[in-house]
Amino acid sequence: MRFSANSFVAAIAYCFASLAMPALADDPSCGLGTEVMATGEPIKVGGINGNAPPGDFSGGTDAAAAYFSCVNAQGGVNGRPIEYIVENDQWNPELAGQVATKLVKDEGVVALVGNGSVVSMAVNADLYRDEGVMVMASGCAISECYESSNIVSSNQGPLPSGIGALTYAVEELGSEYAACIGFNIPNNGGWACDWMNKFMESKGLKGTSILMDPTAVDLNSVYLQALAEGVDTILLMLPAAPAIGLLKVAEEQGGRDLFKWVSPTPLYDPGVAEVLGDYWNDNLYINIELAPFGSEGADNKNWVAVMDAYGQDGDRRDTFSQSGYVSARFFVEALLKLDPNAIDRAAVTKAIQGISNAESDLLCKPYYVGDADRHMPNHAGRMVAYSGGAFNIVRDCYDIESSYLDPIRQQEAALGINQ
Amino acid sequence: MTRQFALPITVFVFSLLALPLLLSALWVKVVTSAVIFSLAAAGISVLFAQLGLINLAQVALIGLGGWVALRLNYGTAIPFTVIVFMAGTTTALIGAILALPALRMRGLYLALVTLMAAGAFQILFNAFQFPNGGSGFWGVAQQSAAEIRLPLLANSDVAYLRYTIVIVALCFCLVAMHRITAPGRAWAMIRQSEANAMAAGVNVTFYKIWAFVLSGFMAGVAGGLLSGALGQLDARSFLAADGILLFALAVVGGVYSWLGALIAGLLFKLLPAVFNNIGLSADLAMVLFGAALLHAIITAPRGIAGQLLVAFSRKSP
Repeated sequence: MRFSANSFVAAIAYCFASLAMPALADDPSCGLGTEVMATGEPIKVGGINGNAPPGDFSGGTDAAAAYFSCVNAQGGVNGRPIEYIVENDQWNPELAGQVATKLVKDEGVVALVGNGSVVSMAVNADLYRDEGVMVMASGCAISECYESSNIVSSNQGPLPSGIGALTYAVEELGSEYAACIGFNIPNNGGWACDWMNKFMESKGLKGTSILMDPTAVDLNSVYLQALAEGVDTILLMLPAAPAIGLLKVAEEQGGRDLFKWVSPTPLYDPGVAEVLGDYWNDNLYINIELAPFGSEGADNKNWVAVMDAYGQDGDRRDTFSQSGYVSARFFVEALLKLDPNAIDRAAVTKAIQGISNAESDLLCKPYYVGDADRHMPNHAGRMVAYSGGAFNIVRDCYDIESSYLDPIRQQEAALGINQ
Repeated sequence: MTRQFALPITVFVFSLLALPLLLSALWVKVVTSAVIFSLAAAGISVLFAQLGLINLAQVALIGLGGWVALRLNYGTAIPFTVIVFMAGTTTALIGAILALPALRMRGLYLALVTLMAAGAFQILFNAFQFPNGGSGFWGVAQQSAAEIRLPLLANSDVAYLRYTIVIVALCFCLVAMHRITAPGRAWAMIRQSEANAMAAGVNVTFYKIWAFVLSGFMAGVAGGLLSGALGQLDARSFLAADGILLFALAVVGGVYSWLGALIAGLLFKLLPAVFNNIGLSADLAMVLFGAALLHAIITAPRGIAGQLLVAFSRKSP
């Protein structure tokens, strides 16, 4: 068998093409995808995150910023770039009110996208409603996020994710008495843990809440309180940092086998595995609100590509980041349907409310908004187990059972959405 | 006498009429908070300037006033302004309880007692939270906070700033009246020497308690106004450490005049907002506050206000 010169060249070309294909596949795809930098009049969009102790909720705005940069580089919103203004409320309710007022009233943003904060929504829900501005949030953790007409979040928040974790604990781990450990923050820890307890009661089981002062976190005493309660399961209704702290306390005291350990999404973080080590192998279960970070889904891969190409050093790559990407993508898709010369707050609000059956492999089910007094489009998640420094799926997409979702399911039925 | 009133009247008229029109929506909110906290700083000044007593629980008392105001707002149909007054009165009564240790101690020991009281309030606020429209005594439900009633004439941010300025100005007048009438004279004698004051027939116990009542009233009114400005309150806004900070800023601003309290409020709320607005951590303000306190202790015992008022009096004809 002889190779001709042409065959040789073709083989070389094929090799180069093979090498190039993954690179092409990793090119981010955003908005119009025209590869022409948008130069028209900017569209002002806001975002608020909470980045200060005891938690960093900036992943959503990081990802939204990266996606909008990508959109601007690929034709913008029909030629108009997005000017994304991000503020940090620093977990301070007063500051949260001030920065929201700045964005909504002074800057005149058409919408807020990628918001992630524990305090901002509680303070500003009325402002958003009164000013007719929609918030497509990504890192919500309090009731106002899910019980307000002008806020819709692509993350589930502690309630569905926590119930999802407990569902798994009851059905697969045999949990009978669970302690929900959270922060005593209005409409956060108390709200979510109350619904955890209701869920346990609905199953004929027991639940209790252990809430701690976020300004004076004493993880040792919380752990001892759980021990004294005699629970068999601990639900870590906490941001990643204090949740890891509590796991370390349990490790120091040899408490791993005394409880079944489950958690909602915040503990599903790329950096967690390095901190936990082997001690927690096969003993820690986490409900995740969006797809696994390594998912082969097209949208997940695009999220990675967008962050690689347009993200900043130090940007978080957590669930809130995925969620921020999803919110930003659906937002831009809604904007692209509008006349670029007629984009104002009223038109954008209507366009966002018109989002229905939007799909992404990052979510288990379709996303929607609608014109309603509350929104919770994402309430189905997956369960992963920590093992060997990685998280492995142990239960794929499943929805939760809770009477909290009754009004949500009615909305979905009215909108003809099959959730 | 006319010159003495010229500056406060000018500041009041300018703040009431022109200032809200010059500020953007963000700064209207920030200045509203600053004016409210200047009222609380005025309460600190009453105790420290008149009697030499240190009260580190003033921020906690603002929280108490806010709690009372929210509870009454959700639970009754009482007009907002009356609620603010009732919040002030209730807090004044609690302030009188704080006065009991002050009858026997002063200086560092009294400061520690008030700091511990502030810590106790911090724990209570966190454990029981602030009312949000729920039922029962605590008025807390695991739900989104209900809307609160505001004064009819103060339903916008700008109108509420003006409303706040009027209430705070009235309270400043109340303090000024105390300073130039019998309580002021009694406090001055007590500060010089309790024994001499008693010998002169001054009821030391009564006037000490009265100073705490007045200071508590200021804090309670500030809490009531804050509840209206924010719509809801959060335990993290009333930390014991903030009581120390507000006291330090009252000293930096100057405890001997209304202007000092105003400067303290502005430093306490305006500076962190300025830093946050330019993308820096609001906590950076703490560094400046520390430097300002050193400056005040070393070179300006009457605070920034003292220096400004001296400069103003030299320039006036």
